[in-house]
Amino acid sequence: MDANNTIENAKNATPVVLDGSEGEGGGQIVRSALSLSLITGRPVQIDKIRAKRRRTGLMRQHLTAVQTAARIGAARVEGAAAGSSSIHFVPGALQAGTYHVPIGTAGSTTLVAQTVIPALLAADGPSTVRIEGGTHNPMCPPFDFLERTFVPALERMGARVTATLERHGFYPAGGGAIQLTIQPSPLVRIELLERGEVRRIRARCVVADLPVSIAEREAEVLRKKLGLKPDAVEIRSLPDGPGNVATVDVETDAGTIVFTSFGEKRVPAEKVASNLVREVKNFLRAERAAVDEHLADQLLLPMALAGGGAFRTTRATPHATTNAAVIEAFLPVSVTFTVDGDSTLVEVAPKM
Amino acid sequence: MIRMAKDRPLVVLGFLGTSQDQRGFRDRWNHWRPTVGLCQQEDLVVARLELWHERRYERLGKVVENDIARVSPETDVVRHDMPIGDPWDFQEVFEALHAFAGAYSFDTEKEDYLVHVTTGTHVAQICLFLLTESRHFPARLIQTRPPREDGETVAGSYQIVDLDLSRYDALARRFATEHLDAVSFLKSGIATRNEAFNRQIDLVERVAMATRDPILLMGPTGAGKSQLCKRIHELKTQRHKLEGEFVEVNCATLRGDSAASALFGHVKGAFTGAVAARAGFLRRADGGLLFLDEIGELGLDEQAMLLRALEEKRFLPVGSDKEAQSDFQLVAGTNRDLRADVASGRFRDDLLARIDLWTFEMPGLKDRIEDLEPNLDYELERYADRHGRRVTFNKEARSRFLRFAESPDASWAGNFRDLNASVTRMATLAPGGRINREVVDEEIERLRRAWRLAPESGAPTDGLLLEVLGERRLAEIDLFDRVQLAAVVEVCRRSKSLSEAGRTLFAASLARRTSSNDADRLRKYLGRFDLDFRALQPR
Repeated sequence: MDANNTIENAKNATPVVLDGSEGEGGGQIVRSALSLSLITGRPVQIDKIRAKRRRTGLMRQHLTAVQTAARIGAARVEGAAAGSSSIHFVPGALQAGTYHVPIGTAGSTTLVAQTVIPALLAADGPSTVRIEGGTHNPMCPPFDFLERTFVPALERMGARVTATLERHGFYPAGGGAIQLTIQPSPLVRIELLERGEVRRIRARCVVADLPVSIAEREAEVLRKKLGLKPDAVEIRSLPDGPGNVATVDVETDAGTIVFTSFGEKRVPAEKVASNLVREVKNFLRAERAAVDEHLADQLLLPMALAGGGAFRTTRATPHATTNAAVIEAFLPVSVTFTVDGDSTLVEVAPKM
Repeated sequence: MIRMAKDRPLVVLGFLGTSQDQRGFRDRWNHWRPTVGLCQQEDLVVARLELWHERRYERLGKVVENDIARVSPETDVVRHDMPIGDPWDFQEVFEALHAFAGAYSFDTEKEDYLVHVTTGTHVAQICLFLLTESRHFPARLIQTRPPREDGETVAGSYQIVDLDLSRYDALARRFATEHLDAVSFLKSGIATRNEAFNRQIDLVERVAMATRDPILLMGPTGAGKSQLCKRIHELKTQRHKLEGEFVEVNCATLRGDSAASALFGHVKGAFTGAVAARAGFLRRADGGLLFLDEIGELGLDEQAMLLRALEEKRFLPVGSDKEAQSDFQLVAGTNRDLRADVASGRFRDDLLARIDLWTFEMPGLKDRIEDLEPNLDYELERYADRHGRRVTFNKEARSRFLRFAESPDASWAGNFRDLNASVTRMATLAPGGRINREVVDEEIERLRRAWRLAPESGAPTDGLLLEVLGERRLAEIDLFDRVQLAAVVEVCRRSKSLSEAGRTLFAASLARRTSSNDADRLRKYLGRFDLDFRALQPR
């Protein structure tokens, strides 16, 4: 069964009803459901949105995702308001085009990007999307991950997507901007089952409107603990902030994985860097894992759209299993997680 | 608890925080700034922010505006020049905000308004509160808070306060209880059963608590107007809505030349006999409650003066060329049809219009006969309180009395005053504090005679006088004299000797040492009615 059949079989089916408080219980359910609804054309009803969080319901950045999805899919939406605990989303036809998406509260631009990219890949023409807000937010994939991990993975599946950083935006001041171009492209099945060789490790320490010494102290720790050559660590100082982020790119035969650590008030630079080192080393230790845990949960949706796929990752996170459940609610696929030594094998396959 | 309006865009009005929103330039994102924080709330989309500041804070205003544009692209910031010279001057701030509210076109159908009270001086906050409470700003209040220690983001949090207290269930319940307590208080704790009456008192409570406008109580004599007034005054004093005294005046006693002077006061030498200045009832009631019973008996001149006193809170005392002031709440009582009096020219229509704003009919006892029983118990309680002697009915006597009292035969012409007198008599005559069948039967006879004698305008005291004078002699005595005589007879009955009664009756003169032989005075008074002290003693 190919990708188009998978999607066609799902179309015109009954509305999908989801409990937004289940599993990871956050914004991920809403974003994945929106992408899938846009692509399959199936209406979706999500109740108890973020019901177990401190502030319940749709937050502004989720609301922006809902509104953007509604524009892209000419959708009719009920319950699209800040604090709303349920939404009903009825998509129309996908609209390729030029979109401008400003996000409030310095919300994550990359999360909105992940919502719209799969949908616009299925549209009938090329699209350009400019998203403004935070590009480097704690608890969210930074732009670097989108640019050097997620987009290349999509490209290997046949997607023609570019992501460009116009300006950094850190929480809480925001003010960042990214630009996406998306050409409609069918996705093909891939497998990322072995990491192969680690070809190169590079690091980058960025400060914005903060003393450069912070970045230098982080760079020092990264060099020492990861055994990097001086020229493998880049230090950048930006005017607009405040903000601090350190990233490490691990380039392997299976692709590049970007790891991130954010500077925080009252956390010494050395601690920020050593947290990052620990994450990188954890990944390197699981020798066969081709994909880290963050890319793992984001690969599920494009693989399901491609009609199947498989990869080996470090572990299955609640994000990944929740995402799998949402995908299975929309598409006739099954996602299996098999622990295999120090890694986990993930398979997406059409339902028999 | 509070309903969030999800359908209308939110518009926030607030002051730029000239100190709290001012956190240096480079370091500003590391600090909580209330106006910026307001627009950083993850679950609150501010569609428009109307931001007030003085022109000299233009630069700060721009920084805040730009920062909000970054963190809240959904928000349209509109800055307003708010020309306030001294932000701690209440009048200036209030006027500026009042003027803004008047000029601003609020559209509550299309927009949902919030007033931000975290920024601005305390004076500004008070003014915003007052103007929101008075609905000049048809808004709810929003208060922003700095981040807590537990890792809340720099945006802090917020709380929305709706001044419409009925939106808060717990508070509404408490107010309902308070209201019930107040209503019960107004009814002297009597569990009255008449629905119309209960509704009426309910309304009286709400009106009396909410306003200082005049209240008009209509109803027959003895219906409890005076008692209700006293209770209103006590209740309002408890709730800090009145500070002055309760002054009760029966206008029927004010006829003639001295009426104006009694009400409005006079200066020394204003007329023959005005040896000292007199403040008058209106001034005594300043800040309090003035009950003018039988207001229909007031002369036309006094009516005109009263109207002016009500409208302008000032009036001229007799013989004075300097106005006096008094701010009192008026409750007027009447048994007459004042509209008919206006038609016949006996009552000013403008005064009636002024006092006829809140009019309540106090039904007579006959019209709420189901309340007789609870009032009977109340009167027995009152007797016990006053005389220190608890009196009860035996079962048969009680049902016998009630059967008569609630029957169409009982006219209760003097209403609750008749009931009070009746209970007093029975309690006084009850052997060993127990009202028995004989006492009840005698009382029923007494009531029957009294009502037969003067079915329409019988004075409340007639029962007692009938007993000592007999029908024929009582008929020869003017109503005017009956009231005084009844009081004298009552005192005589309570007293053991003529001297004791005299001392009680002339206690005031005695204190001033202006009367030497009060027993003699009393004997002469009784003589005019062919009565003597010994004959008045209870058998």
